[in-house]
Amino acid sequence: MAGKKYNTPLIDDLEKGPWPSFVTEMKKAAKNNEMANDALGHLEKCYTTRKGYWKHGGIVGVLGYGGGVIGRYSEIGDEFPGVAHFHTVRINQPSGFFYTSKALKEICDIWDKYGSGLTNVHGSTGDLVLLGTKTEALEPIFAEYSSRGWDLGGSGSALRTPSCCVGPGRCEWTNYDTLDLTYNLTQEFQDELHRPTFSYKFKIKASGCACDCVAAIARADLSIIGTWKGPIKIDQKEVQNYAKTMDINAEVVGMCPTQCMSYDGKELQINNAECNRCMHCITRMTKALSPSGERGATLCMGSKAPIVVGSLLSWVIVPFIKLEAPYTELKDLIRKIWDWWDENGKPRERIGEVIEIKGMRSFLEAIGVAPQPQQIKEPRKDPFMFYTDADMVKFKAKEAEEKKTGKYNF
Amino acid sequence: MALPQRKTDVGPPHYKQFLPPIVQKNYGKWKYHEVINPTTMVHVAESGDKLWTVRVASPRILATDTIREQCDIAEKYCDGYLRYTTRNNVEFLVSDEKKLEPLKKELTAKGFKMGGIGYGITNVVHTQGWVHCHGACTDASGLVKAMMDELYEYFDSKRLPNKVRLAVACCVNMCGAVHCSDIAVVAVHTKVPEINHETFKNMCELPTVIGSCPTRAISPDPAKKSIKINEQKCMYCGNCFTVCPPISIKNPEYDGVAIVVGGKINSLRSNPKFSKLVIPYISNEPPRWPKAVAAIKHIVEVYAKNAKKNERVGEWIERIGWEKFFKLTGIEFTFQSIDDFTFMRDTMRTASTFKW
Amino acid sequence: MEIEELKTKIYAFCEAAKGKKKLKEKDIIKGLSEAEGIPGDEVKKALRAMIDVGKLMYSYGGGASSVEIPSEEYLREKGLIK
Ligand code: HEM
Ligand code: HEM
Ligand code: HEM
Ligand code: HEM
Ligand code: SF4
Ligand code: SF4
Ligand code: SF4
Ligand code: SF4
Repeated sequence: MAGKKYNTPLIDDLEKGPWPSFVTEMKKAAKNNEMANDALGHLEKCYTTRKGYWKHGGIVGVLGYGGGVIGRYSEIGDEFPGVAHFHTVRINQPSGFFYTSKALKEICDIWDKYGSGLTNVHGSTGDLVLLGTKTEALEPIFAEYSSRGWDLGGSGSALRTPSCCVGPGRCEWTNYDTLDLTYNLTQEFQDELHRPTFSYKFKIKASGCACDCVAAIARADLSIIGTWKGPIKIDQKEVQNYAKTMDINAEVVGMCPTQCMSYDGKELQINNAECNRCMHCITRMTKALSPSGERGATLCMGSKAPIVVGSLLSWVIVPFIKLEAPYTELKDLIRKIWDWWDENGKPRERIGEVIEIKGMRSFLEAIGVAPQPQQIKEPRKDPFMFYTDADMVKFKAKEAEEKKTGKYNF
Repeated sequence: MALPQRKTDVGPPHYKQFLPPIVQKNYGKWKYHEVINPTTMVHVAESGDKLWTVRVASPRILATDTIREQCDIAEKYCDGYLRYTTRNNVEFLVSDEKKLEPLKKELTAKGFKMGGIGYGITNVVHTQGWVHCHGACTDASGLVKAMMDELYEYFDSKRLPNKVRLAVACCVNMCGAVHCSDIAVVAVHTKVPEINHETFKNMCELPTVIGSCPTRAISPDPAKKSIKINEQKCMYCGNCFTVCPPISIKNPEYDGVAIVVGGKINSLRSNPKFSKLVIPYISNEPPRWPKAVAAIKHIVEVYAKNAKKNERVGEWIERIGWEKFFKLTGIEFTFQSIDDFTFMRDTMRTASTFKW
Repeated sequence: MEIEELKTKIYAFCEAAKGKKKLKEKDIIKGLSEAEGIPGDEVKKALRAMIDVGKLMYSYGGGASSVEIPSEEYLREKGLIK
């Protein structure tokens, strides 16, 4: 296809150097694709004027769904007709980002037929992102992919595509099956994913341990982080092997945040009652140390980026939950969380913000979770608190009981 | 040609069909792993099976032809299986050690770059930028490319006290967990938006626009049937532009980037942390943003020289103190580094025990 | 209530809000279930049936999703009108 050849001196400079170049990728796609070719010219113009030209998203999508396609139009579509429409299609990735070449090639073939040939593998949410197509291609694209077992991911005020770390697929540290949980939840909540009924977006991310390889704690409304309850198992022989190449006291014992380890040159000891399961020692000496006992996860909630009033990291809500198929307890909890949010959230309020506005107590009571010291860094510092009538009845009843037994029960 | 019949709500395909046989066999039964070098690691299962991983850099924007090349390599050496990482690298998994060297040789010959494993710098999490987003104050892909060209040795060979996670966000929306990175670039506007009063009337809902402003800088302007913005209050977040296109905030002369440092995601040793602002403004200088790139490299080098082994950037700074960080790096301390938005109470010092 | 009658009411509800208020799905469900005294689930079912055939559509703007009456352009693109 002999399209217009753009002169692109500024972005050409980004083809030099050792790191793989996205400009090279765009040129590769541009060789036989008019949209990708115009995207190149369009980008060079941005570099020249130091300004973007994309308009706000528009209303495009596939019949019946409220998301999965991001409308994108250029302000200067006359100049670059190939990107006048340049919509994004989000394809829901398989858990853990594993593929076969056969499946990927099929995805590529369809995309070359209907779109720019440019992709993001993957977008930051986790979807396999197909960058740039026209409105009239959306229904055919959906028919081609969905008939082959691929569905669209989430966008808009809906559940966003859940994603997870590689977990049991290739990691010794995982505390539950992150791949299966993510697949299972995604299938369970297809309706919430495709049809936007929430106040705003809701993201679920699942990491198998506190290393948090999918950054769940910082970018998911529901962050599921694997943990365990038993002691750390120690293989003293392997400890000795590590001692040959590592200063165990400086690198492991001395950096333990709870100071619960000791090493006398012969034996490593851990006071498990004091360990807060931070994973440092285990990641440093993976052959020698491993978690044991009951496995599960900590559920944290509320993280988001700075818009509108400041970033949040997720807060601990449920200190420990067991995660085994069919995950009924977690699914019930998620439904209660959504119901409360639905009742209390205004448009464009993330759940973390609604919890701040309405109060943690209202939220915890609604979802049936008891207050626990594991949820906080420290108790409140001011004496401005609410007492419900029920609280007072309870406090009084407790005191009456104490009078009877003659034993205080703080 | 007739289209196939569409189906709704099928969800993603089941992951199991994409797992290599060795992963299926040892699923959830991995014993330990060893980082052999920045390009390769090996996972050992309880069964004794070994799985080597070779990690390859990606610009995240991939042409379909490049994906096909990756697939061809996977077919030749990995029985047709491959996977991608959260940070957008591609990984080739081999269960037969004999295939490892030929795989690497072919990757090198095809121009793929291997690295990113262990204590160094791996791929940069970033957003869409001028390539695809409406709000971008800078281009993310170009900045990432310029940064990684300069820091490349930390990807494939040179080591650091711990991992240094980098990120770029092309506006304060910060789509990519930028707010918890060791070092990140966040693009900023610095001028109050302009309002097209003519189109405002027809295109925007007044209460929505007023409500969108986090600093309550927006009030109605009944005479113009539009809004006005209080210049004393606006801190250029662009949220009003997001909800109302006739408000324009892009400014090629004054849009630029800021640098934040010391964030972390994992809970190893210390809790997850936000990144904190240290350089408030550097002009946009496409195509290679030389000053921003130099600043990042400088911070990496000062960290490499001063941190203890296993300390992340944020942990190192907390140990030595922020006042020391500014001294060691020679970065000028500005008003912008003092929080006057949501976190002032938590971030001012309340003791006289600091370092000179 | 007959489902067709319900659909007509839903449509009228959306038409009344057109250009005044962006309706979220739950606004419609709440609005009709309160006005007509029918369970929310039934309204939701009828609403979904309408969206599935392009009688109504999901829209997106100002950072949030809503439900709207489709434009002619949309219907033409979906092949629902000539
Ligand atoms: C209040 C805060 C936030 C707002 C208002 C917001 C808004 C948006 C919007 C409007 C989109 C794209 C449009 C759409 O999908 O419908 C989007 C996409 C996205 N957001 Fe957010 N976002 C917020 C917080 C975050 C945070 C905290 C992260 C991660 C740290 C994040 C990561 C993403 C990603 C990764 C995508 C797109 C992913 C992709 O294209 O694959 N967002 N966000
Ligand atoms: C929260 C509610 C508080 C109450 C009910 C309270 C009550 C009191 C009372 C009754 C006294 C003793 C006055 C006396 O010696 O006659 C006092 C003294 C004092 N309070 Fe508080 N206080 C509160 C919070 C604070 C706070 C937040 C601070 C500072 C951070 C503070 C700092 C002081 C100081 C410095 C003294 C004087 C101590 C001294 O002279 O030895 N108080 N407060
Ligand atoms: C953070 C908020 C508060 C601050 C900073 C504060 C501070 C103080 C201070 C400094 C005094 C000592 C006055 C003096 O030396 O004569 C005082 C006395 C007192 N405060 Fe507060 N207070 C606070 C909240 C409260 C609250 C919520 C209550 C009631 C529930 C309260 C009840 C009292 C009483 C009764 C006294 C007099 C104590 C006495 O005469 O011995 N204060 N407060
Ligand atoms: C409310 C108006 C907004 C609209 C209409 C909007 C629209 C979009 C669109 C269409 C994209 C997709 C870019 C692409 O791949 O084509 C996008 C990207 C993104 N936007 Fe915005 N956006 C808005 C505001 C925000 C806000 C407030 C945030 C975050 C707080 C945000 C975060 C994102 C993220 C995370 C991405 C994707 C980045 C990636 O995949 O790397 N957007 N936005
Ligand atoms: S989060 Fe933990 S379990 Fe998951 S891949 Fe990372 S280290 Fe492994
Ligand atoms: S997991 Fe963390 S807290 Fe527990 S022993 Fe190891 S280093 Fe110490
Ligand atoms: S950071 Fe801002 S400009 Fe960049 S993709 Fe996200 S919303 Fe768009
Ligand atoms: S840019 Fe942000 S702070 Fe300024 S007026 Fe708009 S919404 Fe308010």
